[in-house]
Amino acid sequence: MIWAVAAALWVSLASGVYLCLSRDVFRVALGLAVVGAGVNLALLASGRLGSVQPAVVPKGQPFLELASNPLPQALVLTAIVIGFALVCFSLALVLGLIRDAGTDDALELRAAEPVPGNDIKPPATDPAHEPEWPPEGRA
Amino acid sequence: MTVTTPNAAMSVAGRALFTLAPVTALAAVLWLLATQALPLTLSWVWIPALDIELAFRIDGLSALMLLMITGVGVAVFVYAGGYLSGHPDQKRAYLLLGLFMVAMIGCVTADHVLVLFVFWEGTSLLSFLLVGFYHERQESRRSAQQSLLVTGTGGLVLLAGFIVLGQTVGSYRLSEIIVLVPTMEVTPTLTLAMGLILVGAFTKSAQFPFHFWLPNAMAAPTPVSAYLHSATMVKLGVYLLARLDPAFGEWPLWVWLLKGVGSVTAAWGMVLALRERDLKRILAWSTVATLGTLVVLVGLRGESAALAVGALLLAHALYKAPLFFVAGNIDHGAGPRLIDRLGGLRRQMPWTAAAALLAAASLAGLPLSFGFVAKDVISEAKSVGEVFTFARMANTVFGTIAVAVAGITAVRVFWLRPPPGAVRQAHEGGAALVLPPLVLGLVGLVLGMFPLLAQDLLAGAAMAMSPAGAGTALTAPLDPQPDVGSLLLGLLFGATVFLLWDRLYRGLEWLAGRTGRIGMSSIYERTLAWIPRVAAGITRRAQNGSLPVYVAWVLASVAVPLATLLWLGRGQWTWPAAEMPSAGLAGAASLVILGAVFACLMRDRLVVLLSVGLIGYGSAVMFLFLGAPDVAYTQFTMETVFVIVAAAVLLKLRRMGLDRAVPEPAWRPGALALSLLVASVLTALLLAVYATPFDPVLSEFFGEQSVPAAYGRNVVNVILVDFRALDTLGEVAVVVLSLLAALPVLQAWRRRARTPVAGGRS
Repeated sequence: MIWAVAAALWVSLASGVYLCLSRDVFRVALGLAVVGAGVNLALLASGRLGSVQPAVVPKGQPFLELASNPLPQALVLTAIVIGFALVCFSLALVLGLIRDAGTDDALELRAAEPVPGNDIKPPATDPAHEPEWPPEGRA
Repeated sequence: MTVTTPNAAMSVAGRALFTLAPVTALAAVLWLLATQALPLTLSWVWIPALDIELAFRIDGLSALMLLMITGVGVAVFVYAGGYLSGHPDQKRAYLLLGLFMVAMIGCVTADHVLVLFVFWEGTSLLSFLLVGFYHERQESRRSAQQSLLVTGTGGLVLLAGFIVLGQTVGSYRLSEIIVLVPTMEVTPTLTLAMGLILVGAFTKSAQFPFHFWLPNAMAAPTPVSAYLHSATMVKLGVYLLARLDPAFGEWPLWVWLLKGVGSVTAAWGMVLALRERDLKRILAWSTVATLGTLVVLVGLRGESAALAVGALLLAHALYKAPLFFVAGNIDHGAGPRLIDRLGGLRRQMPWTAAAALLAAASLAGLPLSFGFVAKDVISEAKSVGEVFTFARMANTVFGTIAVAVAGITAVRVFWLRPPPGAVRQAHEGGAALVLPPLVLGLVGLVLGMFPLLAQDLLAGAAMAMSPAGAGTALTAPLDPQPDVGSLLLGLLFGATVFLLWDRLYRGLEWLAGRTGRIGMSSIYERTLAWIPRVAAGITRRAQNGSLPVYVAWVLASVAVPLATLLWLGRGQWTWPAAEMPSAGLAGAASLVILGAVFACLMRDRLVVLLSVGLIGYGSAVMFLFLGAPDVAYTQFTMETVFVIVAAAVLLKLRRMGLDRAVPEPAWRPGALALSLLVASVLTALLLAVYATPFDPVLSEFFGEQSVPAAYGRNVVNVILVDFRALDTLGEVAVVVLSLLAALPVLQAWRRRARTPVAGGRS
């Protein structure tokens, strides 16, 4: 069982990261969602896979026996909702970004960074304002 | 009524008040020497856990240094009162000079090497502040930076040397180190400690190849140059070498390094003095040469060499400080300090001229001056010790050019006919400018005529440097015998260099033009320029403004260390056993795989979105088959809502004319490799975790307590709304917060919806 989960995890993580490395900011946001889905699988599997009985105490019994582990399920439930909120918020950000920058290409988002080969960093030195060095004395 | 502001010019009383500090210190030192028996030791507990004590020890060598520090200090404080008179930051100069004096006193009295190091770095730091005193000039700032970088780095090397030495020897007390080291065998560790300490001392005392910072430090005000960069601070390196000479003196490596580096420095400093036109820089190079000679003298064996170190230390302080004061008087009273524009100043500045003559006589080693006494002791030391020929030659060159430098500073500037274009207007400074050089020069004259006055002091210092025992060299009275022949020969050669000064200068300039800019100074400059270039190069590559590159950096810096850890621990974890999955689970997993592959391959955004939805639904089905129906239902719901939201975003983008994906290669090998690495590492991590034993105590607790404690049979729900209700509250808060955060973004969208977006693809 774990190997099936591992295969799904492996492929979905690879796919999500691949999308996140795209230039297309919309794909990047979708990549987040895919990574989230994969991580949820990993979280559930980390609680060990055994019984496939739902974690419900049968009528008449005082406690749970021979059922799947309830704790990771509760955690994954929380994670799904939070992941959904995160992805929706990043979609809103993507929308705002595209509106402000006028582009959905990550390589064209240059408001805070110089393009490669641009000598903004570090400030270019101006030979005209360089002092005499070593100082030859005050004439 | 007068209003005083912090930056107002200081009154005479204010200056006198500051000058009281070195006067008190000098009086204290004199009282100490007169009444107390040396060596004097004091110590307080400072950091007992590290065995660091504020330990001080004053012996003959410390006493000599203390006298120089406080005596020249008085002259410098008086002189600064006149030289910086009216300068808005005069108080700062006094404060820094006072702190510097304290640091120097601490340095030459400390017995614990780490305490010595603290004061040592203090002098470097104060030197930085004082060299950069005229901070509005870029030249000063660069010189200050250079002196701090060279001496500060040297100080750190020194600290490393002290620690290695202390750990090897087992004591951090100087007085114990010099006793213990000669009894130990020469080991590589001890040699390393010696080398590191030598580097520290050489940077401080401007020895080759760290000599270049000292002349540039002349950007400081003249009182500072006279005090720090001639009389006291630069002598610290020599002081430390003299202190440690009893420890390492029998090592051939120590002796050879000291003699070799000192000789090269002495010769090189003198040659470079010929390349200067600025009086202060000429004096600075001659200081470098003197420091080189001092290092050679420390390296020489024998008690007369120790005596010579003390004599030259004292003589140099007594003539070089006045010569700096003279140079300061010239730039104060005449303007420029370039020797091309100076001449015949004796009429306007008679007192300064007299002081210059007194000091220069000592520099040239004329009879009746203290420099003559020092020269006599030095030649005696060299005749006793076995010296290399090169050191002897360096000494000859040193003597010759010293005479020429003395001629330049005392004769050419004051007595020779002014060259064309020389300054005509010059005036003598006040008493504060004239008295310090005159008094120091006169002290040199008195000591030169009656050398016995300095006998006890110098003998005490020599005893501290060679504690083996007092021999005849120390008890014999200082009675220099004029050797007329060599004296005349030296004067003759010196006069020749003096007369050929300008021609030698042009020759050296021509030579320098031929050899180009090679040497330590340009290596320093290149290194300094290289550091920001490398930093800029790294910044451009790592932080180049490309989102994919940033994501790649973040992911790679997580994945690569994790992969390394997994690889290193490969023998310690096992793969879980293989077993056949149920048909439902296998089908659901293949749904996920299918969606993932499609999401990567497809170009159309809607199809990519639907593929992502397929991954979500596939994982929901997997949850169903893994016994987690609640999770599966949540996943189904959330995935559906997500696809709807994303489709709405797509619709918006389509209205902007951006419905098509950004054109990028369908096949990105680098991104694929990184994503496979990240996925493999995380999957391997999960599998490694899965194979370890599981501790079910928490899950069992929830399973047992669900019905009796919370009256619920669906354990997952009970955990969410009962046991961990606060977590669920946090989860809800996250959803609300993200909605609140998204709201302004989307509202701004609505406001600007009418303005079309520029540059959409169609």
